[in-house]
Amino acid sequence: MATNTPETTEEGRRPGLIPRLANGNVELWANLIVLVWVIAFVLWQGVGFAITIGTVFAIWAILAVSLNLVIGFTGLLSVAHIGFFGIGAYSVAILTSKTDYSLLRTEGIPTYELPFFAALPVGIALAGLTALVVGVVFNRFRDDVFVLVSFGFAIISFNLFLNARAITRGAFGIHDVARPVIGTRVLDGELEFLVMALVCLALVSALAWFIVTSSFGRVLTAIREDEQAASVFGYQVTHYKLAIWVISAMMAAVAGGLFSSWTSFIDPNSFILLESILLVSIVILGGLATIWGSLLGAMTFVLLEEGMRFIPFLPDVYVGQARQVVLGVMLVLLMLFRPQGLLGRYRL
Amino acid sequence: MRALSARAILLFVLLPVMVIGIVACDGDDDDTYRIGVMESLTGPGETYGTVSNQAKQLAVDEINAAGGIDGKMLELVVEDSKCNAQDAITAYNKLTDVDDIKIILGTSCSGAMLGAAPLAEADGVIMFSGLATNPDIAEAGDYIFRTSLNDAQLGVDMGNTMWDDGVRSIASIAESTDYAEGVRSASTDRFLELGGTVEAEESFPSDTTDFRSQLTKLLATDADALLVAAQAEFTGGTIVKQARELGYEGPIYGDIVVVGTTALEVAGDAATGVKAIITDLDPNNTKATEVVNNFRSKYDYVTLQWYLGSAYDDVYITAECLKQTKDDQDADGMRDCLYDITWSGTIGENYSFDEKGEVVGLSNVVIEVLPVSERNDDNQGYKVLGPAPII
Repeated sequence: MATNTPETTEEGRRPGLIPRLANGNVELWANLIVLVWVIAFVLWQGVGFAITIGTVFAIWAILAVSLNLVIGFTGLLSVAHIGFFGIGAYSVAILTSKTDYSLLRTEGIPTYELPFFAALPVGIALAGLTALVVGVVFNRFRDDVFVLVSFGFAIISFNLFLNARAITRGAFGIHDVARPVIGTRVLDGELEFLVMALVCLALVSALAWFIVTSSFGRVLTAIREDEQAASVFGYQVTHYKLAIWVISAMMAAVAGGLFSSWTSFIDPNSFILLESILLVSIVILGGLATIWGSLLGAMTFVLLEEGMRFIPFLPDVYVGQARQVVLGVMLVLLMLFRPQGLLGRYRL
Repeated sequence: MRALSARAILLFVLLPVMVIGIVACDGDDDDTYRIGVMESLTGPGETYGTVSNQAKQLAVDEINAAGGIDGKMLELVVEDSKCNAQDAITAYNKLTDVDDIKIILGTSCSGAMLGAAPLAEADGVIMFSGLATNPDIAEAGDYIFRTSLNDAQLGVDMGNTMWDDGVRSIASIAESTDYAEGVRSASTDRFLELGGTVEAEESFPSDTTDFRSQLTKLLATDADALLVAAQAEFTGGTIVKQARELGYEGPIYGDIVVVGTTALEVAGDAATGVKAIITDLDPNNTKATEVVNNFRSKYDYVTLQWYLGSAYDDVYITAECLKQTKDDQDADGMRDCLYDITWSGTIGENYSFDEKGEVVGLSNVVIEVLPVSERNDDNQGYKVLGPAPII
């Protein structure tokens, strides 16, 4: 992984907000614009839809923050994250689903009807365990080969979700995934769920921040910069890489659990490789090796994607396609002019 | 360079803000009934979603050109549900929260339907699909309706047809999608019920293009017939073609996808004699012929005629109910109307909805693919043998 460090901090005394904006401080502009964008969106489109967008943002942001630990801070370009996301989602779905599948005319699976907060730790643990097992193998690979094996994992995961029909119902999907219950209160309102998703995002971000600012995080950065040098200094780089890989996978499972509870129905279509690639795009868009950048990247992506629903000048029949094209073009242009992402200090 | 980057950020990130900013707030227009549409305009169900959306627009244009519904115009607010649960939910919330829609036509994919249906049921919003076929949708609730026949009925008809043709053992291959697996599962269930045996089953993910190894395994079982269930027409046609290339000469059964326009183009003469259970427009139904012709004149192509007709009829049924309720916010009135209505339109005569919102009064037919030399736009490449047998 080649690196680049376009320093944006000022030498000496830090100038005020306006001079920094006037001087083209990209980070500040990016933050300001996205903030204005969020406010504008809520004002124009109403709080109801903003809650939906907020929930989608929280789920993508948890994924982006967790993936940034692997890609941005450790330098391992992985597209496997969708698999761990799926493990979390399916664990929660299978363990909490209340549907009596014998009444449906399609495939039946056993149900357990556990509460959300009992199922989520199972999903997190399962994702962690899976990451540990595959991580032992993945640790043997670096750079391009690592991308390929992570690609393989994403494909295998999808096919497992699709074909392990006795557990996942395959293409028929799982219904009635439970909403979280705190005490006697069911979080079935959209606003309540958003608050819980944001709390989860805050916890994941705090944990990620704690990791990257600790000595452990500094070793990860050293591995990214020069794995051999880190090794020469006596660090067991494979252990560090494995640890962050497992932690990241467990964070992704949190997002998965939230996702399946929020949608209440999941099928393998939500865990295709394309979603993983979009996720990598979000991480790069926000900026590598910056947690705030991942949050900003996720918000920008969600606002771009959902904001396109409001393009007024396109005939309805072209709106769907236009959203895809415009989103793609904007990502390409952004990468062209700002390859390190909105807030990034490094680039691939 | 830094300043350039800032401008780039401004241009590419602020631009959408400006775009959103110039959106005029539509507001509620008293002279218009606003109906939501959720279709797969992108993603795996794009073909179905686009046809369905266009058919609906055709119906709306006709209604408005004829003076609207008691003088009020009908307007569609279209959202892309992309064939998955998450996008269906965001599309649904946009329609209900931002546009204040209470009646939604769609979706074209069962997965998307099953994702948004629990919300619609909880909010008391009508979801009315012309394409979603997953049997599970029958249990989705009181506000969920469809004019598409569910896969379970298709399966029963497929099982009956094979049995009626003297087939006593089958080998099957299905694409791993809810639709294709649903068709296979329902068909084999019925076939087993009748006393048949299933010699072997194979599944494949949607991006597969070479089926030779799976087909070789299936054909080695010497089953009486091969059952093909696919989601994509290209896939269905390729399986038929490769089965014949491997020397298989026995009967092949499939669903509408296996005998679609693209499937027949891909398979060529290999598809001759393939039997399928499909919903088909009645050639003696003048309304159906007129709608297909109007669709062709407006969009310069025609495909998936029955689904086109189903989506078209959904708009007219909705318009009829709006005549009664006189309120596009009255989802309960619309629900009651749909339960009571009996309709004659493009896809059939005198059909209605049962207590689960499932369409009744429509049936599948058995068709047989014609040789390439006899295929044309009028016969769509096959001849109708008659209604599916009842056993």
